[in-house]
Amino acid sequence: MLSQALDEKVTRGTTGEQPRRRAWQLAGLLAWSILVPFLLFCLLFELLPVVITIQGSLTNGGTGGLSLASYQRLFAQASNLRAFQNSVALSLVTALIGGLLGAVAAYGLASLRQGWLRNLLMSFCSIAANFAGVPLAFAFVATLGVTGFVTVALRSWLHLDLYGLGFSIYQFWGLVLVYVYFQLPLMILVTLPAFTGLRPEWREAAINLGASPAGYWWRVALPVLFPSLVAGTMLLFANAFGAFATAYALAQGNINLVPILIDFLVNGNVTVDFGLGDALAVGMMVLLLVVVALYTTMLRRASRWQGR
Amino acid sequence: MRSLIRYRRRGQSPDAGQLRQRLTNEGGLLPARLALVLVLLYLLIPLAATLVFGLSGSHGWGDLSSLGTVFGDPDFWQTLLTSLGLAAGTTVLVILLLTPTVYQVRLRLPRVQPLLDALALLPFAVPPIVLGTGLLQEYNGAATNSPLVALLSLGLVPLLSNIFPLLDLPLLLICAYVIVALPFAYRAIDNSLRAINVRVLTEAAASLGAGWWRTLLQVILPNIWPGILTAALLTFSTVMGELTLASLFNTYTFPIYLNMTGQNDPHRAALLAVLSFLLTLLCVLGMVPATRPRTSRGQTALPGQIEGAGPR
Repeated sequence: MLSQALDEKVTRGTTGEQPRRRAWQLAGLLAWSILVPFLLFCLLFELLPVVITIQGSLTNGGTGGLSLASYQRLFAQASNLRAFQNSVALSLVTALIGGLLGAVAAYGLASLRQGWLRNLLMSFCSIAANFAGVPLAFAFVATLGVTGFVTVALRSWLHLDLYGLGFSIYQFWGLVLVYVYFQLPLMILVTLPAFTGLRPEWREAAINLGASPAGYWWRVALPVLFPSLVAGTMLLFANAFGAFATAYALAQGNINLVPILIDFLVNGNVTVDFGLGDALAVGMMVLLLVVVALYTTMLRRASRWQGR
Repeated sequence: MRSLIRYRRRGQSPDAGQLRQRLTNEGGLLPARLALVLVLLYLLIPLAATLVFGLSGSHGWGDLSSLGTVFGDPDFWQTLLTSLGLAAGTTVLVILLLTPTVYQVRLRLPRVQPLLDALALLPFAVPPIVLGTGLLQEYNGAATNSPLVALLSLGLVPLLSNIFPLLDLPLLLICAYVIVALPFAYRAIDNSLRAINVRVLTEAAASLGAGWWRTLLQVILPNIWPGILTAALLTFSTVMGELTLASLFNTYTFPIYLNMTGQNDPHRAALLAVLSFLLTLLCVLGMVPATRPRTSRGQTALPGQIEGAGPR
């Protein structure tokens, strides 16, 4: 910082710049040296695993040469494509349910005038959003499992037999219910700033100009909110798509999702097949990169309305 | 708004009352609050049901014998200790790696900011299962001896893959957890640095004779303490519940114990879920004093980049 002040002086005045410029260059190198540990760490443990996964997916397991065999195997087996289909459907459905209901609830939360109540509910949402993985799966088994509390209560009080109707917590729609549990509070936390950023003056101006409440929502609020809502939904999608522990603890690998399939291939007791695992992993990354790109674009657009 | 209404009323406009009603009627408030109540019910019912289910035991109501079995199990304490150690190690490493870097970038190298943003965003596109698959091959599998990998890592991967097994520590797991926690920890620290005037504080410290490290430790750190605390607690609670990577790396951690014991006895599983919930509760409650100033202003946090933490 001292050398920076010096540098400013150098650019303003012009005396004796040669040694000072050298000192500034040295300081610049020192400035970069602070970043070395972090950047090196990211290279070793974040970027290289990605490179190696891509490399592994393109390598022939036997000869070590370049080949597309892993991808051919990916597309040849219906169960692999089925896993992608299930994962995308699960993520899409839970992101849409969580996104829609969560956004409306976030508006309800933002409209609360009692500050303490809003803070309390927000804290509760952070807890619920962090309550995932194995414990969440167990909680839902205790709630909606075959002998779960709600299942038994519905059966004995309302004579409604969920499992007789074909519902199962261990199958697709059961998993949707479990995922929605962490998607909803996440969406609320993610979009709350967008709703609190809606200025009352906008609504007043719109109404004064003759808009109906519905017209205000459709023409003013929604266009402002839209990028935040899409960004939130994208985050939920990525969140569900990469989730492993919840589904694993719930169904013990009996549901065909991409993360579970990868785990089976690289961590299985029977055979280890890194090539196919890598190809599936690359498929996940490509899909998620699109989602994350959309997320950042939308976030950038949303920040235009939130920066005061 | 009020003055506007008053003006209209004085002007004897025929639709003054109607306008006032329309101005105060926010529109869609009732359905929104209804949705909020619905969501809260959805979040509360499983918790309550789990508590009741756990307490009702296999031998009737209030039977805590299964919890006694759990507490008497040496594996319970051993895995809990392992996870606590992993979580503490990851938290320290995250803070140590991130704080000087983010501070330096904010202060001197704003050009590097997009790179940091991208590095902190990448874990969203590389879920733990993919990261773990890559790491397994990098340090344990075929890629260890690949010349390309050695070149790209400046020769560090072959070196590290020899060191990691020798240390008999789940060091690789800690490093992987750092990456998993990176998005949330980075956002928390970066937000708190954005909220203070780093440049003015640093220049003031420099004019009083403080060096770089002293400025960071004695001037910047006390000012961004809430952000550091949030980052630490998010990292801690994420590692405490993480199953994917631990299972890939064959490390016997608390979530793996949880999964194994819970599968046999749903009542015990419910009690363990309640215990885990209390642990999450403690971590989040620790964050409340830290997040309050941020939430009351509501604008400093970019939407959703902190709160997306947690093991999935």
